Amino acid sequence: MTATSAAFLSAPAERLRASVVGIANGRRGRRAAGGAGAAIAWSGDLFVTSAHVVTASHATIVTPDGRAVPGDVVRRDDERDIAVVHAPGAGVPAVATANPATLRAGSLVFAVGHPFGVRDAVSVGVLQAVSPLPRGYGLNGKGSFVWIQADVRLAPGNSGGPLADAQGRVIGVAAMVVSGVALAVPVPDVERLLAGLT
Amino acid sequence: MTDDRTTLAMLSEQLADAVATAGAALVAVHARPRLPSTGVHWKDGVVVTTEGTIRRDDDIEVTLPDGRRIPATLAGRDRGTDLAVLRIAPGSLPVATLGDPATLRPGHLVLALARLDEGGPRAAFGAVSATGGKWRCWKGGEIDQWLQSDLDIYPGFGGGPLVDAAGRIHGVNSGGLSRSLATTIPVATVNRVTAQLLERGYVARGWIGAAMQPVQLDATSRQRLKHEGGLLLLSVEPDAPASRAGLLIGDVIVAIDGQSVEGFDQLLDVLGAGDVVGKKLRLEVVRAGQPVSVDVVIGERPRRAR
Repeated sequence: MTATSAAFLSAPAERLRASVVGIANGRRGRRAAGGAGAAIAWSGDLFVTSAHVVTASHATIVTPDGRAVPGDVVRRDDERDIAVVHAPGAGVPAVATANPATLRAGSLVFAVGHPFGVRDAVSVGVLQAVSPLPRGYGLNGKGSFVWIQADVRLAPGNSGGPLADAQGRVIGVAAMVVSGVALAVPVPDVERLLAGLT
Repeated sequence: MTDDRTTLAMLSEQLADAVATAGAALVAVHARPRLPSTGVHWKDGVVVTTEGTIRRDDDIEVTLPDGRRIPATLAGRDRGTDLAVLRIAPGSLPVATLGDPATLRPGHLVLALARLDEGGPRAAFGAVSATGGKWRCWKGGEIDQWLQSDLDIYPGFGGGPLVDAAGRIHGVNSGGLSRSLATTIPVATVNRVTAQLLERGYVARGWIGAAMQPVQLDATSRQRLKHEGGLLLLSVEPDAPASRAGLLIGDVIVAIDGQSVEGFDQLLDVLGAGDVVGKKLRLEVVRAGQPVSVDVVIGERPRRAR
């Protein structure tokens, strides 16, 4: 128990960090290393990120070992704010995923991203809800989407990165912060966009 | 590594259990525009929330864990401690399981809970940051324990409970009592204030009807009277306990009820006690350099109209 509380999330966080890449617009993507946003190695050479991170048709990912790999944006859903990037030869291990609907409020969650350009930073918290936003939280009509709402610190640079459960399984893609609450797009919505690609 | 995963998963499950347990006693309180706040079903038929989130006295409703929305009536409110109490139909939902905040130490894992709609309870997670004894908040009320945590009090989380890892409720979180850390109004304060609000709709505080300023006594008086300082009367209201007792401008109160008074804290402690109104207390006073005893019948502090 002592060893575990000292180590806490370090093992699942380490595994997840190996599957998180930097990403930026264009073929060169010089900013990718510094953290325009994050992307998740989903399967094969497919990466999932936020649509607002990759506004062009090409993107460059930067692997955890520092290689820049050019890719193409093959699917995007601006309304739901997710995009899929194909980067052949990236060779980044894919994540395991889980449906957030199976988690209860209060379950531990953690995020990996590049907040303010800090590579692969981990932040931890708990799940608040997987539902449309409460009335009064706003969000220009997008509040009626089902969002993962979590008490976890996100910052610019977390966009497109994973939100994971205590076992390191990705449950959603970090999208934004509304009224201080971290919002992520649930895995089933990502799978819908990926349908037919894998 | 497998052990790590299992233990973490267990912690995660335990936290979710705590949320489910405590969440069963939470309601969403609809008493302000836009966003509801959270209420704790403290005793059967009695819901506690924060005073600052109650923006209207009538047409208040609460949403129960099963999604039903039922009417609630305002039993009373106390600005000083930022607490308000509502009455609902008894038996509407489980009653909160209370903990003892004295057992919480800095570093203990805690949750802030909320209910905002017909969905499930919501949670924020953190640790107890600081604990301590009695204190007086800027709103003037006496809070029985200092209990702060690094929890984020999100919109609508005000009035919700501070919950330990076992799901016990240790108090009510207030977004209005401090800016930096989340402040919890502990069980003892909630119990004390709730009892008064249910009984008479407000918290009665003692009053003597005089303006005062702390002063040091001169060296001779210090030695002779064995008091360092006291409260100098600057004005005395007509037809108030102080004037009825014959207190005069220029009197220095050095003791109340046998206890030395050197500043406002000691006086406010005496006047803040639950049963002080109507009591006759003996004041030791320095008048023109001479010690005098004066008996004052403590009145009730006039309440500001809302």
